[in-house]
Amino acid sequence: MAARERDDTGGQDVLRRAGDASVLILTSLADGSKHGYALIQDIRGFAGLQLGPGTLYGALDRLERLGLIEALPAEDRRQPYRITAAGVVALRDHLDSIERVSSVGRLRLGLGGI
Amino acid sequence: MPGPRSMRLVESALRCYPQRWRSRHGDEAAEIASMLIRDGTPAHSVAWSYLIGAARMRLVIEPRRRLGAAVGALLLAGSLGVPVALLSTSAPANAASVAHSRTAHPHSAHPHSAHPHSAHPHSAHPRNGDSRPADPRYAGGRGAPDGCDQHDHC
Repeated sequence: MAARERDDTGGQDVLRRAGDASVLILTSLADGSKHGYALIQDIRGFAGLQLGPGTLYGALDRLERLGLIEALPAEDRRQPYRITAAGVVALRDHLDSIERVSSVGRLRLGLGGI
Repeated sequence: MPGPRSMRLVESALRCYPQRWRSRHGDEAAEIASMLIRDGTPAHSVAWSYLIGAARMRLVIEPRRRLGAAVGALLLAGSLGVPVALLSTSAPANAASVAHSRTAHPHSAHPHSAHPHSAHPHSAHPRNGDSRPADPRYAGGRGAPDGCDQHDHC
């Protein structure tokens, strides 16, 4: 039941299953709505990798089905998306989780904690 | 502006998506492809990405619908009295004979599970009423009609 509740509220387990592209997209949408091409450009800028358009659309569909993002009215042929409240919670939980793993990893490598 | 050949490649890949997806994202997807190619991304790379995306969409999302359709078809077939064996085999000629033997033995749902010795590779004895040919594919429990789909359709 607890796991089910976490899923409904967009907890970290949902995002973990959704994959890296989903995390990148949510991170990109965290500072405002964007359409597909703007997402690819932004992700290339902050993560240094180019998301394939097929991967992008797959992740967008998945995130929309999970209720973590929502489509805004289309502008011309472009479909902007924005992060939902559940998406913000999911992203925050996921980043917290990554941060914990990162801290432990750095400590164990002798690099010191964050 | 990307050449017509590049865009034809991308459009071919986009046609692999379900109609529902294309009506919603098709125009934007073509525009994104055009902009990525203009930025220097190879057209085949963009087309490949869409092709993989379409395959994933059909494999991950569509099966839910197919499962529903399959269950519906099985229920309908059951209500019409069609033997399940007819639906489970990919070889129509064998299906007829298997269906005959199974309807004669309602408790033998699987051709090899009904007889304790039939799983042995050398025990390809036809049961009473089973007119299945002594095909070596059926002898060892491998390649049996229920497993044919793995080889025939993949």
